[in-house]
Amino acid sequence: MAKLVIVTGASRGLGLAICRQLLVAGYEVLALARTLSNELQQLQQHNDKRLHFTAVDLSDLEQLSSLCGTLVKQYGRPYALINNAAVGYDGVLATMHNSEISSLLNINVQAPILLSKYLLRPMLLNQSGRIINISSIIARTGFNGLSVYAASKAALEGFSKSLAREVGKAGITVNCVAPGYMQTDMTNSLQGDKLESVKRRSPLGRLATPDDAAAAVLYLLSEQAASITGTVITVDAGSTA
Amino acid sequence: MLPPILFNLFNGLIDTVKLEQTIRTTLAHVATIANCKLIADITDDTVLLQSGLDSLGFAMLVAQLEEDLGIDPFSQMQIAVYPRTFAEFVTIYRQAQQDGNK
Repeated sequence: MAKLVIVTGASRGLGLAICRQLLVAGYEVLALARTLSNELQQLQQHNDKRLHFTAVDLSDLEQLSSLCGTLVKQYGRPYALINNAAVGYDGVLATMHNSEISSLLNINVQAPILLSKYLLRPMLLNQSGRIINISSIIARTGFNGLSVYAASKAALEGFSKSLAREVGKAGITVNCVAPGYMQTDMTNSLQGDKLESVKRRSPLGRLATPDDAAAAVLYLLSEQAASITGTVITVDAGSTA
Repeated sequence: MLPPILFNLFNGLIDTVKLEQTIRTTLAHVATIANCKLIADITDDTVLLQSGLDSLGFAMLVAQLEEDLGIDPFSQMQIAVYPRTFAEFVTIYRQAQQDGNK
C-alpha cells in the first residue's frame, strides 16, 4: 500500500513540485491548499487515485484540530506531513501593519505547529513517520524587508529541532529544508537587478529550482534518511556558502 | 420494568464502566507499543505519572482514544487541564462523552 504524505500549500511553486515528485515516487498524496489551482487539477487528472485535494484555510487555526481528525478518518494514518504553506509579505517592519504581522505568524508558525501536533498523533501510533518543515535561508541570513518572515522561518527551525528530540524514540524524524531564492509566485517581487545580483553571488551562477528543493524533501522521506533528524538541508545553489 | 429515572441511571453506570474498561485496555495497548512497563495495579488514585507510562505514551493514549472514541477532550476544552490521577483522567473522558451526547 502506498504511503500517505500530506502537503500544505500544494497548489503552486514548491508545494506543487513536491506533489509531482511524490507521485512519481509512488506515494499517495493529500494536497492541502486554499484553492485547487489549474496545475494541481491537471496533476490530479493524471493521478486520480493517488492525489487527493482538500481546500483548507490555514489561517483559521481553530478548525485545524477537527480538520486533522476528519482527514485521518477519511484517508487513514499519514506517513508524513510536509509543512510547506507560507506567506511572505515584504516591507519594512516600521510600517508593516500589525494585522499582517499577526497573520504571517499564524500561517507560517502556528498552523504548522498545530498540524504537526494533530498529525503526529497517528504517526506515534504507527511508531514511524516524517515531518518536514519548509524553512528558508532567510532564517539564518537576513534580507531587507523580510524580518517577520525571517522570524517565522527561524521559529520553524527551532521547533523542528526540539520536536525531533521529543518524538525520535517513536521512530519519527523531523527536519527542515531551507531553499534559497527560487523563482516561484511567492518570490515574484524579486526582479531585475536584485534578482541578477542574487544569481551572480551564487557559486553555481543560478537560482535553485523548486524541483531541487523538492528532491531534498523526497530524500528526507526515504528509508535512506531514517537516521537524519533535527537538521536543516539547505538547497540554495550555494548562495550561503 | 425499571422506572425511566432508574433506567437512565443504570445505563449511565454501564457506560461509565465500559468507558473505564476501554481506557484500561487502551492504556495497556499503548504501553506495549511505547515499550513502557505499567505498574501492576492501577487504581482510581494512581498518579498518572507514576503509572509507568511516560509522557509520549500519554500522547499515544490520547491519540488512540481519539481514534476509537472519536473525542479529544483536551482539545475541546477552552483551558489547559492536566489530570493528576487515573480517576480524573476517566472523569474528563466521561464528561466529554456526555457533552457529545447532548
